[in-house]
Amino acid sequence: MSMAQARFSTPRFFVYLLLVFTSLLCIFPFFWMILGTTLNPNDVVKGTLIPGSELLNNFVKATKSYNLPLYFYNSFFIASVTVILGVIVNSMAAYGFEKFRSRARDWVFSIFLLTLIMPQIAVILPLFRLIAAFHMLDTHWAIILPFSMSAFVIFFLRQNFQMFPKEIMEAARVDGAGEARIFTQIAMPSMKAGIASAAILLFITQWNSYLWPLIITLSDKTKTLPLAMQSMMSAYTVEYGGLMVIVTVSLIPVLVVFLAMQKHFVAGLVGSIK
Amino acid sequence: MKKSLMAFLTLALFVGTAVLASANSKMVTVWCWDPNFNGYAMNQAALVYNKSHPDVKIDVVVFPNSDAVMQKVQAALQAGGAGLPDIALVQDFQIEQLVTNYPGVLADLKAAGVDYSQFAANKVGPMTEGNKIYGIPFDTGSTGLFLRADYLKAAGLNPAHYQKDLTWNDVITLGEKVKAKIKKPLIAFDTTDWTFLRMMVQSAGGQWFKADGSLDLSSPAIRPAIATVKKMYDAGVLYPTEGWGNWVSAFNNGDAAGLMSAVWIIGTIKSQPTNAGKWMVVPTPRLSGVSGARNASNWGGSSWYVFSQAPNKAGAIDFLKSTWASTDPDALEFYNTILKGAGAMGTFLPSRVGSNYTAKDKFFYKDQAVYHDFAKWMADVPNLRYTANYNAWGSAISASLSKLYKGELKTPDDVLTDATTMYKQSISQ
Amino acid sequence: MKAKGSFEKYLNRSGWWFVAPAMALFSVFMAYPILSSLYLVTRRWRGLRDSFIGLGNFVRMLHDGLFWHALGENFLLMIFQVPIMIALAMVFAVILHHGIRRFRGAFRLILFLPAITSLVAYSILFRILLQTNGLANNIMQNLGILQQPIAWLNDPFWASVTIVVALTWRWTGYNMIFFLVGLQNIDPEIYEAAEVDGASKVFQFFKITLPLLTPVILFSMVTSVSGTLQLFDEPNVLTNQGGPANATMTAALYIYRQAFVINSDWGYATSLSYVIVLLAAVLAAIQIRVLGGRNK
Repeated sequence: MSMAQARFSTPRFFVYLLLVFTSLLCIFPFFWMILGTTLNPNDVVKGTLIPGSELLNNFVKATKSYNLPLYFYNSFFIASVTVILGVIVNSMAAYGFEKFRSRARDWVFSIFLLTLIMPQIAVILPLFRLIAAFHMLDTHWAIILPFSMSAFVIFFLRQNFQMFPKEIMEAARVDGAGEARIFTQIAMPSMKAGIASAAILLFITQWNSYLWPLIITLSDKTKTLPLAMQSMMSAYTVEYGGLMVIVTVSLIPVLVVFLAMQKHFVAGLVGSIK
Repeated sequence: MKKSLMAFLTLALFVGTAVLASANSKMVTVWCWDPNFNGYAMNQAALVYNKSHPDVKIDVVVFPNSDAVMQKVQAALQAGGAGLPDIALVQDFQIEQLVTNYPGVLADLKAAGVDYSQFAANKVGPMTEGNKIYGIPFDTGSTGLFLRADYLKAAGLNPAHYQKDLTWNDVITLGEKVKAKIKKPLIAFDTTDWTFLRMMVQSAGGQWFKADGSLDLSSPAIRPAIATVKKMYDAGVLYPTEGWGNWVSAFNNGDAAGLMSAVWIIGTIKSQPTNAGKWMVVPTPRLSGVSGARNASNWGGSSWYVFSQAPNKAGAIDFLKSTWASTDPDALEFYNTILKGAGAMGTFLPSRVGSNYTAKDKFFYKDQAVYHDFAKWMADVPNLRYTANYNAWGSAISASLSKLYKGELKTPDDVLTDATTMYKQSISQ
Repeated sequence: MKAKGSFEKYLNRSGWWFVAPAMALFSVFMAYPILSSLYLVTRRWRGLRDSFIGLGNFVRMLHDGLFWHALGENFLLMIFQVPIMIALAMVFAVILHHGIRRFRGAFRLILFLPAITSLVAYSILFRILLQTNGLANNIMQNLGILQQPIAWLNDPFWASVTIVVALTWRWTGYNMIFFLVGLQNIDPEIYEAAEVDGASKVFQFFKITLPLLTPVILFSMVTSVSGTLQLFDEPNVLTNQGGPANATMTAALYIYRQAFVINSDWGYATSLSYVIVLLAAVLAAIQIRVLGGRNK
């Protein structure tokens, strides 16, 4: 049997077929969504597969009648600040847990881990009452603060910090550096892959977040993209074309962030699953 | 960290502007839910008011649907009143629930000088508590059966033959003929909403609740109504949809040949210009074999309410009195405008003489004078008692009805038993 | 001597400083709310007024058919959807890792793409596609697969099926990535040794791959089961607040409706949510026990 024949075997052909079929299934909704941005509302529902000429109209409607820029800004502001705050808080915590081992801190870490199985709804109800009591309903910070700290991110960054050698820290201390300096100028810069993954995770989670913003927002002031989409979908008059535009736009930043950081993301994961 | 400083500055700006905005006592905030209907109507009222009060800004905030308004109102009330608007639009069937659960949150407008004898009695009823009356009635939900005259013709039928008082049995026969000839179900039907059934029962003078709010299923209209809906479903006369948006697309796209709805759907119907000249409206069909059955019913209808904790309570009350409860020629003309513009049929009795009430509407088949018809039918509508438990019952019976369509429940009594159990659990009795 | 030297004290203090911000956020926004709302369990709320009712909420819960039905839906999904999805994720991970040589990166990216969508976005897309007069039915009727349109979102049975299909579409790729990473960590020499010993590919899969991947599988299962227990976005958005006849009502959606939509009964809603927390803890414990090993 020649090399060429060995490579092109029938089972392999079917494997590729399966992959292509599955890929089509995965991609089709995206393709249809983008197509939908060019159609008028009725055609979107009917599901015509031929592009229309309503893209500009739909875009204008989404921007003018449905305030897409404001919602995009809200989502972006909230997600970005969460990333900044989250990276700082979570990496500090991971570093502290990993490089300064103590029984007490290990207990605290275990408690943090419990939150991973804590159902969101159980936290959200009392949290809502707390936020309402502080008159912080309908503010961006009410969405940012509760979800900046993430036990998952801390856990995963801990695995990354494991690989950071203690010797470097000790050497730096001998040189007279304070812990803060060691952390910010030596440890963090060496964790780029892990931090990138943490940033992606925090951004995507906050960008896509629905239940908590649903309860917290009262007005357009803090409305985020997922809320805007669901509002449009449950309205008495559903503007399907404009909705497709907003859905598409809401996917772009996540896609960009993910594609740009893809390599780091997988690398970061490889480091932590061990 | 430049980025977070920028973020902080932006946040400060936001907070600053919000504070400034709320300090402006020349603003009245209104929450409603349909940009083409009640939002539009309120904006028209604002135009009238701004003629004599040019410095007052009426901020009309449109939510996606009436549930969203109720939820946000309740969330704001839970937060001690922070974020409440001055005025909110509340459906007639929801107001008693709001008043019962949150005593004292609404402003007594009777005490503020509104003359309620000028409004339709069946609107004032739900908003009355003792000798306090809370809102300004807005629109009526006089119902009718909308049919596509062109589809009827395509099925070999004469539309004029159906422009009269029909029974639901007549409608079933019609639906079967249309389905056989052109394969289209006659009536687009939202399976998640029980109002179709409720409207049928109301048209025969049926009630669901006693005056004290307790459930009462003894009305002779209830079981025949459930049986009729099931019969229609099985005969393929109904085109089932899974929600409002789906329902609208079904009749606007022509997947169904008609719908059962109220005068306020006209704005939505007109939003599909390609259907001009094709729609006609006939009186609400009546239940066969039930005494007291009429060819008229009501679906929806809402009113404007002012909150006691409203940021600009006095301004809001003055605005409402000068536009919605005023016999000024400008105010009456505004009622006339919103009738034609959005199918918003007000319940302010002096406004019923507007020219649009008798005008022909070119959008409809043979220029039908639809508003005249709806107003005529409205006079015949039996009153319905809503009570604070209306929503809870509605949720329970919609779920039971879905089981009926599927065949899991067989008889109207099965449906009522199933729904009653669920209802009792949901209100924790 | 166990007395701490001053250097150790310095390290300990530094350790606490690093962990402090996370602890602060955790205490304020998670620990305090949950603990302080415990008292709500004994109260009944109507609007802004509450009254003491002892264990009344739990008695009510026992008779609350809809709550148990909702919980049942969660379990249904756990039993059907999670295993299917994990099996599929495993299959594709193995295919991408062992089965093909070309285009690996491209397929990996495409299969992962659904995972970047927000739950609301993809629910909306599926909801429009699966309407009775929508594209899915149209295509299938044109291809002759269906004679009548299926009421995907109107029929209680099909609505549940829709949720299963949607969740699988959305999360298979995500889990696949975890399995891929796990596979990458397995030393290829193990497989070579097995080949030499005459083990078949299937044998290798069950006796080498699966056992070595156990930690990752455990992780996937725990997170998937936990996610399924908390399901909210899809039943709310895709099947319009719980589906026809509440067929797709889930526990979290029901609790949300109790607190924010129906009657603002905080006491009852809080009681229900504590039950869910208990369930989550029990399920996690069981899974960790059964699949053994470290719980990470």
